Amino acid sequence: METTVTQLQMIPLSYYIIFCTALFTIGVVGVLVKRNALAIFMSVELMLNSANLLLAAFSAYRNDPSGQVFVFFIMVVAAAEIAIGLALLVVVYRSSRTIDINILNRLKW
Amino acid sequence: MYAIITISIVAIIVLFFGAFGKKKMILPVIFVGLPLAFIVNLMGWNQSIHYFNEMYIDDNFTIAFNGLLLFIALLIFVFAPVYYKSVKRPLEDIYALILFSLVGGLMMTAFGNLVMLFLGIETLSLSLYLLAGSKKSDPRSNEAAMKYFLTGSFASGFLLFGIALLYGACGSFNLEDIKLYVIQNQANIPAMFSIGLLLMAVGLAFKVGAAPFHFWIPDVYEGSPTLITTYMATVGKVAAFAAFFRLINSSFGDVDFLWKTSLIVFAVATILIGNFAALYQDSVKRMMAYSGVAHAGYMLIAIIALKGNAAGVLLLYSVSYSIATITAFAVLMMVRKETGSFSIKSFNGLAKHNPTVAFAMTIAMLSLAGIPPLIGFSAKYQLFVSAIEQGQLPLVIIAIVGSMVSVYYYLRPVVAMYFTRSIESTPFEAAKLYKKQILFVALLLIILSFIPGLIINLI
Amino acid sequence: MGSASLIVLLIIAIAFAVVAVYIGRIFGTSSTNSVKGEPYECGIETKGETWVQFHIGYYLFALLFLVFDVEIVFLFPWATVIRELGVVALVEIFFFTLFLFLGLLYAYKKKALSWM
Repeated sequence: METTVTQLQMIPLSYYIIFCTALFTIGVVGVLVKRNALAIFMSVELMLNSANLLLAAFSAYRNDPSGQVFVFFIMVVAAAEIAIGLALLVVVYRSSRTIDINILNRLKW
Repeated sequence: MYAIITISIVAIIVLFFGAFGKKKMILPVIFVGLPLAFIVNLMGWNQSIHYFNEMYIDDNFTIAFNGLLLFIALLIFVFAPVYYKSVKRPLEDIYALILFSLVGGLMMTAFGNLVMLFLGIETLSLSLYLLAGSKKSDPRSNEAAMKYFLTGSFASGFLLFGIALLYGACGSFNLEDIKLYVIQNQANIPAMFSIGLLLMAVGLAFKVGAAPFHFWIPDVYEGSPTLITTYMATVGKVAAFAAFFRLINSSFGDVDFLWKTSLIVFAVATILIGNFAALYQDSVKRMMAYSGVAHAGYMLIAIIALKGNAAGVLLLYSVSYSIATITAFAVLMMVRKETGSFSIKSFNGLAKHNPTVAFAMTIAMLSLAGIPPLIGFSAKYQLFVSAIEQGQLPLVIIAIVGSMVSVYYYLRPVVAMYFTRSIESTPFEAAKLYKKQILFVALLLIILSFIPGLIINLI
Repeated sequence: MGSASLIVLLIIAIAFAVVAVYIGRIFGTSSTNSVKGEPYECGIETKGETWVQFHIGYYLFALLFLVFDVEIVFLFPWATVIRELGVVALVEIFFFTLFLFLGLLYAYKKKALSWM
């Protein structure tokens, strides 16, 4: 653990922040641009995981484990979220035979 | 704290009663469990106990809002047996999911730590995603669930990244520690901190349905089964606002220059968009969805006018909004059952067949519009007064304009009920089922109108 | 001196590559048959589409597995501190797994675990 932390600290913190922000932005753009529900799921996962990575990096730099504990919680919540998302996807696919969200426009105003 | 444990255990018991085929036991267990949780919740009054290293704070704010949430859930369960009367299966999954999401709501009002906030929001939302799609045979319900899931998890991503940045700046998730950090570094707040706060505000604005991020609300509210929509519009919104208020109030009160402007922009946009979009709706359900958006704007004012008695005002507003919304949706359920449509035309001539229900709907609409002497008026009045005291006069003027616009669309169903003759004059059969419950909620609304002062001074 | 030898090396390399590619074409015999175009030259021929639809039952199992699998993530931090925390941690993890087990039991009672 100690060696991992020191190894992590060898990389400047700003690198982590820039990298995670880039990942997060890719996720946001993916959600906004993609039309396939599965691709949107993946983009959301990317957003969550960029936050995970950022938390882990901050936690290592501050020698404060609470950030890493939060990462565990986020992982579990993300798994539950994806389980629910896939279940909904199966239901939607059964009724409409597609996962393209543009087809899902019965409720547009 | 003990309310959460009670509700969780009740939910698990409900699940297993359903799985083992004891259909008759499910609702009695809920009707015992929810009041029990309500009583257990009141036990910590005036004590301000902290649990689990300040993860969970049981102060008067928590207890008042949790009491409200439990009470709303109880009211919604009063309508559940009638709404699902034609469904033969045990329905334990739907009831248990409602209870689990209620647990999330209870956590959201009481968090003392951003981890708890995130877990509460996710517990509430994950259950609501499934509940929105609980009418599996209806493609609209499926779609609503899908849309809710996509926008909701998108919002969670924002919230989470905001939390991560805040943690990077302050080194703690604890609200007290963040407050301490804010006081020490008031002069030079790092950019990471303000960006994190902004991202969190965006995530929470998604959850409460404030304006640039309200686009999912009408679709989701319209597509979901009406009982679930009622639940989302009341418990979901109140819990999210309580969480928003606690977050801002307990940590960021001293750095209001960071969030005040953006929240004012949100509030103005929410009030205008909600009220004006509601004008053009033909479906009453969709109109109620936009009305929910507009009320989210008013409730944001309570957060902006943070100092003074804002918590009490928010509580009063939540009470008035929730009870009136439940009444309106209950009438809507009945009308839908009878006519098969949510449109305003289906309200035509309701007053003739069923004066009681028409009266209840009128009361609810007038209260939502903020007509004296109903509770909606006192809530809005107190809200505007406290905002003016904080020097937010322009905001209040916009809110009053929005409120005046809202009278038009709230009165449309009333006009349809009293002054338009219905084409076919079939007596309402469903009314027999719903009448007593609707009357009960409407009477509750009237009784509450006499005691706004009591509610506002509670916390 | 240096650049001249590099150019010579470059010419030799290109010539070697060209010769290696074309010498087979000059001396070798060519034959064509249907099997030659297959992605795999050994084994039996594939039948049907590659994008087959999986049975929906796999999804149910996958979803259940996913949730229960990830819950185990809480056991790792617990395992590192169990000695320091003592009996309390043991009781707590017992309750944690009890609730997980209740979820599994519910799935079992609802026949989510039986193959349809």
